[in-house]
Amino acid sequence: MNAMTPKLIVEGLSHHYPDEYTGVSVHALEDINLEIFEGELVSVVGPSGCGKSTLLNILAGLLPYSVGTASVDGNIIEGPGPDRGVVFQEHAILPWRTVAKNIGHGLEIRNFPQVEREARVRDFINLVGLTGFEDKYPHELSGGMKQRCQVARTLCADPVIMLMDEPFAAVDAQTRITLQEELSRIAIATKKTILFITHSVDEAAFLADRCFVFSARPGRIKKIVDINIPREERIWANMNSNAEFIRTRDEILRLVREEVSIATEE
Amino acid sequence: MQQKSKTPSLAWRLNKLLQINAMNLVILIVGVYFIWSITSSLIANPARYLPSPIAVALSSVDMLYKGLLPSYFSDTLVRLVVGSSIGLAAGIPFGLLLGINRTVADTFQPMMNFFQSVSGIAIFPIVVIWWGNSDTTVLVVILYTSFFPIAYTVLSGVREVPIRYIHAAKTLGASRYQIMKDVLLPGSMPHIATGSRLSIGFAWRAVIAGEMLAGREGLGWMIFTGQDADKTTEVILGMILIGVTWIVLDHFLLRPLEADTIERWGLVQR
Repeated sequence: MNAMTPKLIVEGLSHHYPDEYTGVSVHALEDINLEIFEGELVSVVGPSGCGKSTLLNILAGLLPYSVGTASVDGNIIEGPGPDRGVVFQEHAILPWRTVAKNIGHGLEIRNFPQVEREARVRDFINLVGLTGFEDKYPHELSGGMKQRCQVARTLCADPVIMLMDEPFAAVDAQTRITLQEELSRIAIATKKTILFITHSVDEAAFLADRCFVFSARPGRIKKIVDINIPREERIWANMNSNAEFIRTRDEILRLVREEVSIATEE
Repeated sequence: MQQKSKTPSLAWRLNKLLQINAMNLVILIVGVYFIWSITSSLIANPARYLPSPIAVALSSVDMLYKGLLPSYFSDTLVRLVVGSSIGLAAGIPFGLLLGINRTVADTFQPMMNFFQSVSGIAIFPIVVIWWGNSDTTVLVVILYTSFFPIAYTVLSGVREVPIRYIHAAKTLGASRYQIMKDVLLPGSMPHIATGSRLSIGFAWRAVIAGEMLAGREGLGWMIFTGQDADKTTEVILGMILIGVTWIVLDHFLLRPLEADTIERWGLVQR
């Protein structure tokens, strides 16, 4: 496939939903247009309630949409499917399956031959650094390890695009920066196309090739910020002296804060 | 919350239970024995109203010798096992079905509430009218009694499986059947274990009640007929056996099974 053919295309996507308590229609997303190319890591950042998680749920096929189109590899999104892997914010690995069984679940669902499946599972366990924890149950893992397990499960199923919904929001600060560096390394190793939702400006700038800044509700794409830092250089120790990182981070921060102040004035 | 990384074995738990309770148990038995003996020796006509523990023990030896006790006891246990097995085998899938399908659940919920309020004893007359004083009657009542608690518990178990587990399976490409098999069924295992224990407990009461009203043998029948035949020793013996059997069954089989399931599924530390 041509490198310039987008993997994910969203055109004119809008979304309304009735408020759970009042029943009043909430305007969550307004005319979203975006393209994500093969091997790209794109982050979406915006104030809370801007609809970024709604967008991810729509792309994952977990939320029906009515206005606009969204497609992956030319296939219109009509429901959940293995072409779009999701890493959830909360621990969504199954507590009654071991680490290895969780990671191999996607292949198991598709009836992959066992020998092949186990070999692949081993590769991804090594990739995310869970070697030695294959037979542990999720409740025996730390928060960071649970998220590594989720990332491995998603990648092992080999989706066209990996959708990540604030995956590191619930882990402690130290673990968080380690996980960010590891995700960057995994992006190099797997060349996977990734959409990463976050409310952390630092995280958005550190990880992404391009950052989509969302406006306050209804969520619109306010600006796309290109971040031209070679992936190999993306290590936190280097970032304080990286002019491109500082410039893009400050720009994203300024854009987000404008929206936060609009949201609070309302 | 603290959590144990290793599940203690059944043997370990059994041992611990006995160690802790051994002393208390001895005190309890000795105490009951003395109070019972003294009361019995003070009243008029103890053979009719409260035979001494010795008299009850002698009667049990006599009944054992005649083979009546083992026969009654096994009759009752077989009824419990058969009745509650059928009840569970029907109730678990029914609860699962209700859990996954809201339309089915909404349709059946009022009916479930209705039948749960009509106790096993209350359906007895109609069942006797249909099947007479027979084994079938007793079985039907046990089945009825054990069915609703398990169905209800499984239904809530399925409902309580976190939606994110279902979403995760869906995004991995799972079909409805695979979600059922890989997520909803294992996710409701702890509820299935708890519900089974609950159901068997209800079934045990129903067996005794059933035998009293419609049986021709079994522990329930033994205590019921003992009342008419002026065999108070058998009435008391039967009551003791009913209680002790349940304690043994529950402590050594059902509770460990429940605890193991809940711990093994890793859902204990929430």
